[in-house]
Amino acid sequence: MITNFGYVLLFIITGALFVGVALFVSKLIRPDRPNDTKLMTYECGEIPFGDARIQFNNRFYIIGLMFLIFEVEILLLFPWAVVFKEIGWFAFFVMFVFVFLIFIGFIYELGKGELKWDIPAPLIPRYEENVGVIEEEEKRETVPSAKKL
Amino acid sequence: MIEQALHSISQFYPEIVIILTLCVIIVADLIIKSDKPVTGWIMLGGLVISGITILFQAGQNGSFFYNMVVVDPFAVFFKLLLVLAGIFVVLFSLQSKELDSYYTRKGEYYMLLSGMMLGMMLMVSSTNLLMIYIAFEVTSISSYVLVGFTKKETDSAEASTKYIIYGAVSSGIMLYGISILIGFTGATDLAAINDALQNRADIPMILNISILMILVGMGFKIAVVPFHFWAPDVYEGAPITITAILAVASKTAALGLLIRFFSVSFIDSNGLTATGIWQTIEGIHWTTLLGGMAALAMIVGNLTALRQDNIKRMLAYSSIAHAGYLLMGVVILAQEGLASIMLYLFIYLFMNLGAFYVAMLFSNSIQTESIEKYKGLGFRAPLESIAMTIFLVSLTGIPPTGGFVAKLYIFSAAISGGWIWLVTIAGITTVISLFYYIRVVKNMFFYKPESNEGIIQFDLPSKTILLILLVPILLFGIYFSPILEFAKNSVQIFGM
Repeated sequence: MITNFGYVLLFIITGALFVGVALFVSKLIRPDRPNDTKLMTYECGEIPFGDARIQFNNRFYIIGLMFLIFEVEILLLFPWAVVFKEIGWFAFFVMFVFVFLIFIGFIYELGKGELKWDIPAPLIPRYEENVGVIEEEEKRETVPSAKKL
Repeated sequence: MIEQALHSISQFYPEIVIILTLCVIIVADLIIKSDKPVTGWIMLGGLVISGITILFQAGQNGSFFYNMVVVDPFAVFFKLLLVLAGIFVVLFSLQSKELDSYYTRKGEYYMLLSGMMLGMMLMVSSTNLLMIYIAFEVTSISSYVLVGFTKKETDSAEASTKYIIYGAVSSGIMLYGISILIGFTGATDLAAINDALQNRADIPMILNISILMILVGMGFKIAVVPFHFWAPDVYEGAPITITAILAVASKTAALGLLIRFFSVSFIDSNGLTATGIWQTIEGIHWTTLLGGMAALAMIVGNLTALRQDNIKRMLAYSSIAHAGYLLMGVVILAQEGLASIMLYLFIYLFMNLGAFYVAMLFSNSIQTESIEKYKGLGFRAPLESIAMTIFLVSLTGIPPTGGFVAKLYIFSAAISGGWIWLVTIAGITTVISLFYYIRVVKNMFFYKPESNEGIIQFDLPSKTILLILLVPILLFGIYFSPILEFAKNSVQIFGM
């Protein structure tokens, strides 16, 4: 007997097999000619520079958190928009309540000044304190950086 | 569709009032720049209105929002308890000196508190696993933040972190259990799950495990052994008002949810035997399991409380022990058991809130939560000390206080169900609990205060609140039949 969980397992196995087989077959038939541009880290088309491990303002975290709420809201608006015509004013009312509650939250954010951008003075790391780090920095300079490509 | 939704809304007033209160608090917090705790008064008003709308629901019976939420006497009783606890906690918060240094974030505090109230009210009235989980999380997330509200105190921040970690893991386990249960029965509605289970010829072991997993989540909220490890640290670190609501309201709500979940999902109509022992799905002997958990909670809670010096920590262990006594009533899930749980919860609300309130008043005036520092307080603050004595005596369960009646009913229900060994343990641990409760009283009254310590004055509102908490305990110690009748009528819903 195959229960619904059995189907889930089948899906997982099929998914894993699909990825594995596709990667293996393409490895067999594709030409192998790497160059610097191809091996570069992909950052949505931007040319990458510097180290990925940097300090950034943790204000981005709060902004990201707020963005997330509104993104989820939009996600829920889409299925609503599909059935909006069939349900009519009732659907409008339901979504109004939902958006209104989030709107109050947004007002609260604004009122508490969470969206204000007073930029603090940047914290510039002082490498002189640690000799090892300087050497590593110099080494990194000699590596052909992305800008030279 | 619209008609049904509008009809549902007409039965949803208590919750809507709380939601509106939450919104008004947010806006008021932004607009009103006053030193007075306006948001606290708004929340108090909202809770009172919500309580009145709940009173109008008494006696009704029906399910709303596509069987997501029910309004039945059981839910109404628990919602009334929760709102009552909420009102008292708001009154405490208005007086707490601990929260005063965070006055700029008072709006946030009451906002989260009303969110927690909403979650707990939904917890006792939802009959759908999805709704149950949402209500559970609304309560949890608000309480995580509230525990860490006094974030400059290291204890509070530590408590919040511990609570989040324990809570996230246990609610994750619970969610996993829920998903397995839904997978096997194909239903999220509790009554539909009961149907699916009764029509099944075989009950696989995995189903038992899924219910155990759900029990983990609920056991965490009730703080019953072996899911109690978070309780002492969280109760000690949290602001005392939040400790009070965690110990009373959160526990009440989770117990209501536990009772509804077990009695609706897993007991078929002829599953209750004459002696009140319930037959659920085969595999695990559920009554023995719950009885064992109750016994462990009573033993661990009472024995560990003996060695505590912090009053909040002592009350935390005592609340673990009380969770054990309450679970003893769940084991006998017949009418007697349920009615005795509800009577117990009602009296527990007053005596535990009272003990926390006096601890808060002492903490306000002498800045200590250590029981050792209570020496001589009986002469410096006589009224408060006598009140504390009555609350503690009631928590022990000595007549003529309400705590005695509550314990008596739970014990007699257990005896009539044939749980002699459980009652024996409960009796012995009750005697043990006398030692640590009386230690507080001994410290207050059997030591002379230092000569430089004068009489502590308390203002009129605090004396009034103390009296309001004190009267029910003394009154219900003698005249408790109305509450018992109310409780018995409220459990009729389960066909018991």
